[in-house]
Amino acid sequence: MTADIVDEVAFDVERGKIAEFARATFAEDPVHTDPDAAHAAGFDAVPATATHVVVAGHHRDQRGFVDKLGLAFERVVVGSVKWTYLRPLRAGDSLRGARRVVDDVRKRGGALRVVTLETEYVDAAGQPAVRVTEVLIERGE
Amino acid sequence: MRPPVALASGQRIPAREIDPVTVTDFVRFAGAGGDFNPLHHDPEFARSAGFPGVLAMGQLHAGMLAAWLTDRVGVEHLREYEVRFVAPVFPGDTLRFTGEVVAVADDVADLTLTASRGDEPVIRATARVTCAASAVDASP
Repeated sequence: MTADIVDEVAFDVERGKIAEFARATFAEDPVHTDPDAAHAAGFDAVPATATHVVVAGHHRDQRGFVDKLGLAFERVVVGSVKWTYLRPLRAGDSLRGARRVVDDVRKRGGALRVVTLETEYVDAAGQPAVRVTEVLIERGE
Repeated sequence: MRPPVALASGQRIPAREIDPVTVTDFVRFAGAGGDFNPLHHDPEFARSAGFPGVLAMGQLHAGMLAAWLTDRVGVEHLREYEVRFVAPVFPGDTLRFTGEVVAVADDVADLTLTASRGDEPVIRATARVTCAASAVDASP
């Protein structure tokens, strides 16, 4: 069971959402909220903060994908998340991302199920911009 | 792009405290990020799941830790960021962010970062950042 797509999202990187997310994560660099500061720093539009693609949560059915994987929602925790940046995201980007299962194993004698998911977000030109790897852990009953 | 900052092995990133994180922070993050799992806003639901009350979404403090770093090194210079969630965070917790450069090679710095509550880590993280060569070696 590898490379199965569990969900797909498509959304635009928006200036207002960048500012909201920057405030929610206490980011202080003005490039995320002030177009003049962004331009002075060499960006053609305000850049998103590092973990901005978390906003894909607005476009996903978190419960649905957990059900689809056959995981028990109340026993699942996120163990780790890794972001790999190929270029900064900016207001005006349009992203698409398919989340795939890249590993699905039992650990500790079967007491834990560990599912690794990877989402590569590609821009309107089809070029990868950021890759996110999430490791979900389901505890036994 | 802004020039990368100089980083040297052994260098510490000036710490930051969030004192404290609040339910309002959770709600603001839910609105920004779209995580409406009731564990993070519904105390009865959280108790039924075995927690003393609502807890923070890990992406809240993962995002805070990343922003604290990129405020200092520039978001355009971040190449990789990885977080491991090691303990839940509750309203009223004071979080402290610390980080250290562990290696620099070919203008790329590897850092370890920690978000802690008191002496207890809640996130252990690593980051890889494009940097400029440092004129001086590590200053403690």
